[in-house]
Amino acid sequence: MVRARLYAALLIAVPAWALLPLQHQIESERRQLQYGGSPVTREIRDQIGQGLAIALLAGFRGVAADFIWIRGHDFWEKRQWFKQAECIENTAKLQPRSTFFWDSGAWHMAWNIAYAERIGTNDSTVAQALTRERYWHQRGRAFLERGVQNIPNRFDLYFKLGWLHEQKLRRDCGGYPACEKAEYAKAAELFDKASEYPNAPVYIARDVARCLEKSGDLRAAYDYWCNKIWRADRRIRNNLDRAIVEREIRRLEDRLDIPTSSRLFPKVTAK
Amino acid sequence: MTERVGFSLARVWTIAGNTFTESVRQKVFNILLIFALVIIASASFFAEFSLGEDVAAVASYELKSIKDTCFGALSVIGMLIAIVGTAMLLPNELENRTIYTILSKPVRRFEFLLGKYFGTVLLTFVSVLLMSLMFLAVLAFKEVRLSKSAKAEVTAAGSDTEKQKAQELVVKIHDEAYDPDIVKGILLIFVKLCLLAAITLFVSTFSTSMVFNVAVALLVFFAGHLVGIAKEAWQAHTIVTYLLGVIPDLGMFNVADDIILGNVIPWPHVGKVAAYGVVYLSCVVGAAHLIFASREI
Repeated sequence: MVRARLYAALLIAVPAWALLPLQHQIESERRQLQYGGSPVTREIRDQIGQGLAIALLAGFRGVAADFIWIRGHDFWEKRQWFKQAECIENTAKLQPRSTFFWDSGAWHMAWNIAYAERIGTNDSTVAQALTRERYWHQRGRAFLERGVQNIPNRFDLYFKLGWLHEQKLRRDCGGYPACEKAEYAKAAELFDKASEYPNAPVYIARDVARCLEKSGDLRAAYDYWCNKIWRADRRIRNNLDRAIVEREIRRLEDRLDIPTSSRLFPKVTAK
Repeated sequence: MTERVGFSLARVWTIAGNTFTESVRQKVFNILLIFALVIIASASFFAEFSLGEDVAAVASYELKSIKDTCFGALSVIGMLIAIVGTAMLLPNELENRTIYTILSKPVRRFEFLLGKYFGTVLLTFVSVLLMSLMFLAVLAFKEVRLSKSAKAEVTAAGSDTEKQKAQELVVKIHDEAYDPDIVKGILLIFVKLCLLAAITLFVSTFSTSMVFNVAVALLVFFAGHLVGIAKEAWQAHTIVTYLLGVIPDLGMFNVADDIILGNVIPWPHVGKVAAYGVVYLSCVVGAAHLIFASREI
């Protein structure tokens, strides 16, 4: 019996050791393909509680992240913004490859919390409320920038970051034109990056041209419409796209007063 | 006398079939399976906590949440079915003394053990299959609902851009719901469950208590998921690496999270992980036979 147990132990151990190179290969493939999430540190374990930590260690990372997300919403209802933000941070730490957590987390910070701070002036001045609003805009931006670093192979977060610059950070300029133009230029840069991905929606390319125009660079906007959208057929999928692009190019040709010979579309003259 | 008869696959299948029938008749499995099916069916309602206004984000989160819950249920309930199903095989046979009747006939111990194991594997397979079908049905149901609301957005969209966004969303929902990589996740969960069943069978060859078998298998399950973390912490120590190498790294089988997040899982990677699992479980079943063959019954 003792001999049998010894042989049995060897029958498990020796092949297991022989399988070590295969294990290393699988592990390196996982690292290369960026599978899994960040390791479960003591900090995360303390923040998420024992129950979820056990779920996490048993391999239920996604379920644990979902529960933390729901807990974050509970804090939102109680207006405990920093605790909500902590939950959002934890979900992103657990699943750094989830576009949803980065995108919706930043949306909560820069849109929902920021707005709630701006209108919550019962115990503060308007100036203080605006300062807090800007803080959350910046926090949302920083969060999305980290998201872009974690998921650089998809268009989604570049687009959302551009959207944040255009919709929120531009408004924080307080009407100062140079600052607003810089934000539009930044948004155009990010939209351009997003539009380069093969599965990016068609409208993102149009957002680039629109933001370039708003940043004051009409010529760059016109060139973009002509070269990157009209001439690059992949951007124009149907008649609807074609009509929009033609309309915008004609409008910019008029604004830039481009001579008829150089125009992509001849000027329509009233009979 | 019994040890002299040749190996017969037919006898193995007969024992496997009987083990499967016996297991299906047990209330504990039916309850576990019904519980799993209820969890999976209600995953659609858990997903309502999407907490957003943007239809695209809501759709993305709802599908993610359904997949998380369903893969979780598949893994947990599947694990319980595989472990409990295997843990009670030998103790029950010994307690009911049916093992004496079987082994007194021309049946080799290895055939008996293999038949018992394949019976549990069959039970696990049927359970995983039923849960997977329910999982796919829930996904299809959700896809129909989400696509309907996205199509309503297309109709209601004012600007051209909004219309295009809504159309893109309909396509995205369809692609996310019917992701073919889900099959890879289910396959690796099944291999992991077979491995756990083999470990439980191995433990039950030298133990007489079902509780002990279940407890050890659960410990191996948790240890198997912690091996990856331990390896990272102790990677410089060769002895520790060899010691940890004996415990199966169950973390490698967890590709479900990555499938849900839209990462591409190449078939060669799935093949390597499955091969690792199959080789390991074959060795464990072999080791179980060595102990069972020398055990006094």
